[in-house]
Amino acid sequence: MKRVSKIPEGNPFKVPENYFETVTSKIISATSGTTTGGKKKVLDLRIRTFLAVAASVAILCLLSYTGLLLFSPRNSYLSFSEISVETYSESIIYDLDINTLEQDPGLSGIPEDKEQIEKTDIIDYLLLEEIDIFEIQELI
Amino acid sequence: MINSKTDIDLVKLLETDINKGFRLVVEKYRTKLYYHIRRLVILHEDADDALQNTFINAWRNISNFRKESSLYTWLYTIATNEALTLINKRTHNSAVSLDDLDKWFAVSAEGNIWFDGDEAQVKLQNAVLKLPEKQRIVFNLKYYDNLTYEEMSEILKTSVGALKASYHHAVKKIENLLSGI
Repeated sequence: MKRVSKIPEGNPFKVPENYFETVTSKIISATSGTTTGGKKKVLDLRIRTFLAVAASVAILCLLSYTGLLLFSPRNSYLSFSEISVETYSESIIYDLDINTLEQDPGLSGIPEDKEQIEKTDIIDYLLLEEIDIFEIQELI
Repeated sequence: MINSKTDIDLVKLLETDINKGFRLVVEKYRTKLYYHIRRLVILHEDADDALQNTFINAWRNISNFRKESSLYTWLYTIATNEALTLINKRTHNSAVSLDDLDKWFAVSAEGNIWFDGDEAQVKLQNAVLKLPEKQRIVFNLKYYDNLTYEEMSEILKTSVGALKASYHHAVKKIENLLSGI
């Protein structure tokens, strides 16, 4: 193993006398009388099957309802050509339109601020992720 | 490197007599884990807190311990996470940024009764603290704890190749820092 040259080996960190015996007692005291995490409980197979079927039925009902809402004829709504200019103008004052959404960076999911990243952090990240630095250098 | 057969015996004992098994685990690993944590957090008081939290967390999760990893690497993973949690909490609560850890250390070490290093040791610790966090852990685990790259890979969830490169890079940086380059 490669050692760092010119530095004598040794441990500069001291501990109080009898520290390790004391800390062991503290740990055992803290854990005795308490239960461990225990194995995770597993539901009975019949209950799991019942829940799976119930969940499937619920999802199917929800999808059906949503489908009916989306694709049912909207007789109560005017078609676009029947909406008057005045009514249309009012509606875009109060409603959020696609242009507003596109202009607001917070809604697009793009982070507002990017952190400053040091070059050494990039190099270290690339090394840790096994990315070939020389390959990238050639591409630049 | 820890004898894996002894770890196997401990795991078996934990299944049959968990209290006795856990005490033996604490007695076996307390020193190694303490100094691993201490090298990251520096202060004895912080290392003491993190060490206790490590074993308490291990106790709480011992029934869910997956035997695919060794007990040793499992405990080291918990200890590393506890140390990092404490460091992050410290940097949020105080004016110390992660970039100033070496300066903070120089101030904390001087006159601290729980630090007994000479000037060379202080310089080495300062140089190690200048490394990025993950690289510092890699260096400590390899240089001080003599873990294999495979064991480190289990703890840090990083490939062996990347760890080798990172350790090599860390040694170079420290040597340059100590040489004043």
